[in-house]
Amino acid sequence: MAEKGKLKIPRFSRGAWESGEVITRIGSGGVGGKASGLWRIQTELLRQLDPLEFPGIQVTVPRMVVLGAEIFDSFMELNGLREEVAGDVTDAAVTHAFGKATLPPEILGDLRDFIGQVHAPLAVRSSSLMEDALEHPFAGVFATKMIPNNQPDADSRFQALSNAIRFVYASTFLSEARDYFKAAGLDHDKEKMAIVLQEVVGNRHGDRFYPLMSGVARSFNYYPSGAARPTDGVVNLALGLGRQIVDGGLSWCYCPAYPAAPPPFNNLGDRMRSTQNGFWAVNMGPAPVPDPMKETEYLVQVGLEQGAEDGVLDHLVSTYDPRSDRLRMGYGRTGPVVLDFAPILVGETIALNGLLRRLFPLAERTAGCPVEIEFALDRDGAEGSDYRLCLLQMRPMAVPEGESRLVPAELGDSKVIVAADRALGHGSREDLLDVVYLKPEAFDAARTMAIAEEVAGFNRTLVAEGRPYALIGFGRWGRSDPWLGVPVAWSQIAGAKVIVETTTRDMAPDPSQGAHFFHNIIGLGVYYLTARGGEGGRIDWDWLDAQPVAGETAHVRHVRLVKPLEAKVDGLAGLGLLRRSS
Amino acid sequence: MSGNKGYNPFAMAQAEFDRVAKTIGLDPGAVELLRNPMREYHFSIPVRMDDGETKVFRGFRVQHNDARGPSKGGIRFHPQETIDTVRALAMWMTWKCAVADLPLGGGKGGVICDPHHLSPREQEQICRGWIRQVGRDVGPNRDVPAPDIMTSAQHMLWMLDEYEALHGGHYPGVITGKPVGMGGSLGRTQATGYGVVYTLREALKELNHDPENTTASVQGFGNVAQYAIELYHRIGGTTVCVSCWDESEQTSYSYRKKDGIDLKELRSVTDGFGGIDRKRAADLGYEVLAGEDWLTQEVDILMPNAIENQITGENVGGIHQRVRVIAEGANGPTTPEADHVLAERGIFVIPDFLANAGGVTCSYFEQVQSNMNYFWELGEVLGKLDIKMTSAYHDVSNVARRQKTSMRDAAYMVAIGRVASACRDRGWI
Repeated sequence: MAEKGKLKIPRFSRGAWESGEVITRIGSGGVGGKASGLWRIQTELLRQLDPLEFPGIQVTVPRMVVLGAEIFDSFMELNGLREEVAGDVTDAAVTHAFGKATLPPEILGDLRDFIGQVHAPLAVRSSSLMEDALEHPFAGVFATKMIPNNQPDADSRFQALSNAIRFVYASTFLSEARDYFKAAGLDHDKEKMAIVLQEVVGNRHGDRFYPLMSGVARSFNYYPSGAARPTDGVVNLALGLGRQIVDGGLSWCYCPAYPAAPPPFNNLGDRMRSTQNGFWAVNMGPAPVPDPMKETEYLVQVGLEQGAEDGVLDHLVSTYDPRSDRLRMGYGRTGPVVLDFAPILVGETIALNGLLRRLFPLAERTAGCPVEIEFALDRDGAEGSDYRLCLLQMRPMAVPEGESRLVPAELGDSKVIVAADRALGHGSREDLLDVVYLKPEAFDAARTMAIAEEVAGFNRTLVAEGRPYALIGFGRWGRSDPWLGVPVAWSQIAGAKVIVETTTRDMAPDPSQGAHFFHNIIGLGVYYLTARGGEGGRIDWDWLDAQPVAGETAHVRHVRLVKPLEAKVDGLAGLGLLRRSS
Repeated sequence: MSGNKGYNPFAMAQAEFDRVAKTIGLDPGAVELLRNPMREYHFSIPVRMDDGETKVFRGFRVQHNDARGPSKGGIRFHPQETIDTVRALAMWMTWKCAVADLPLGGGKGGVICDPHHLSPREQEQICRGWIRQVGRDVGPNRDVPAPDIMTSAQHMLWMLDEYEALHGGHYPGVITGKPVGMGGSLGRTQATGYGVVYTLREALKELNHDPENTTASVQGFGNVAQYAIELYHRIGGTTVCVSCWDESEQTSYSYRKKDGIDLKELRSVTDGFGGIDRKRAADLGYEVLAGEDWLTQEVDILMPNAIENQITGENVGGIHQRVRVIAEGANGPTTPEADHVLAERGIFVIPDFLANAGGVTCSYFEQVQSNMNYFWELGEVLGKLDIKMTSAYHDVSNVARRQKTSMRDAAYMVAIGRVASACRDRGWI
């Protein structure tokens, strides 16, 4: 949501964090897509919501302060950082230069006052002036740093905050961002960064701070199944911090129009394996090994049993009853649990789904298009509410439109080398002469980290040569559990214009629409094809193996074709193909 | 040290104190204690000169009041140094430390000498001799000197070294103004100038002026002025005129650019003493005006950041009607007669010992860091400085509002009240 006109965000006032405005600013300049989206939620969307319609749930945005983009300019200029990051510099050099830089003096007093008042965990989030715009999502490319902010002395808290701000600024120039800019054809020098300092939603449980649940709700579903329509939307839910979802980890996915509909798992075992088994929290315990330039410095990932100990699973799980061989809604003391949010979605113990369905049209009206909303829910809302739903981000979604239609019969054409019965994107291109694919005979789910590095190597070469390519592999592409797919960062495959994921017996995950990776694919116009096997989804491995080899590693092959492939995707039908010309 | 005949700065300082003491109803005992220094040291420093002769220099250290903490104040070298000047300055330091709410008292010292006519070795002997004479009466817990007119970080290091030799240990907290890396604090260079602007910023907020919509004219282009302008620009202001002393022509000039000076550009044609090269400035497109013209510019803010007695009864009438605020970066730039006129015109004056307290505040930070032998990052120093100065400003502003008085009188009330309370709490009065 690019800024339209000048937002009248009030200036931060010292001493007024709790009593003043929910959103304030320090410094001048643009506030970026994230902050302006939150501003619009606060000033437009929430005003359309009747608080009495969902008693028991208070809907808000978290308190925040925005550092205007002029502070970024001031910071860069004050420390001579433009010169430091010019040219080909390593991530280590960038983080070192930013880590020792000084924040602009004109904001230090306000920051000290701010940190003197706030004693709860904070999220320091990028709000790029190019980020979250319709055309350029940048989702997850820049950093978010969460800090526990629980040190007793203000000096330590101020230092941690300063480090976090510097780290988020540095992320503008790390290789992931640079590669993204290159892939998107954008001028990196034009990027300006605002920063959102936002309270983390949640409660403390022992040495962990996290919300009861996080979610990503999209008012348009690219992969509707069964009776669901695209415009019914889709929601991903997870216990703990939203990082679980946006980084492509396991989460619960459902259609708001059919919250009780069973998910497409073959059996109970599948369901248990394919649902969330761990969650992220802010570490409030003993200080970690200091690493100010690491995004997860203050984060911890724990198993579901910790959630059980913390007493947060009641609304979130079903429990397996071995006597009946069934899942029973709610948390029982015996039997493994499945994080399926059944008490909420089926039992409606919290009116979350109804609220989300109510929010969709309001949000679309506010944004003028389909939207993706990140949110967090926790106990203890104000004003007599039992729960507090905080809207953390709202970004526009690109939906398919225009001429590019496919019918299922076309997928059966003998010239089709990849047929996908699930596809993202919309359109066609006929310029792909390079294909990078994981060799089926060499694929090993235990080696996905190494495979990611091999793929990155081919990507680097092809990007340097300016050659777009198709990428084919097993499981879920994107930064997530290495047992679910190849855990690449976006920068490692930024040159791919068509990404194909197919399944093996061991790797058949559903694509996560809530993930940043997913969002960037759509935004950059990358076609994403899922070939699940059978008539509806197949890959002609024999044909690929017969093509001229341009490079090969232990697990990956790069072939260079004589004639380009055609890629065609019908986003409305959800079908896609790669087709050879002869 | 003013060249004006009959001008007694200590008498003036006492008169100011007496007036405010009467306003706040200070009891006679407190008045008597606070209007005079608690202790003074007068001593002789014999130095064998480079030519073999022995010369004896007179030195002073005045500790005005240390009820709130160790005395704090600079050491000056000046050929016309007088004890009355030092007494006045020591008293003003007491008030300055108190208005900034620092746990420090006031002190000042000096040596009657002219460093222009002394070799580095001779200056070193004076510094070491000063410590030998008064070293048992200064220290991290008693009295902490600092640089002042014609003394520098090097002088402070000689004094530190002599003190440590006499006391047999490392005592970096005995003196401030040391270079960074030798016990000095980051941020000291910027501190006084930035401090002026922190108070200015708060004043503008109270007056409902956005800095981005203001312009300023500045007297002086030394350390205080340059950093004041730097921060003023960072918060959105525009400086249109700057004046400075031209050593070669022995007169002052003002340099103006109506759409705003370029600080980096102007710095590039300025020497180490804040003297702008007239010809090069003209070549850069600056209008060269008479020295006093800085005072009459059509701006919102005036910042006298040079020396005392610059806004007087004679020239105050030339201040443009647009001027809303005067932030006194220098010590004593406004005479009482001019002050009266400014009050009548409704011009908001941020008094010197509040506006320029950033320097002593950062000296205090240096002292703290030195005593811990742990030195802070620049951001930590400047952030703390901002908070301290902002807090000091509002303490004074609140009193000014409640008592319906000027900021200058309110600052005195706050300062004197704090010192008197400390004396009472200690059972001295």
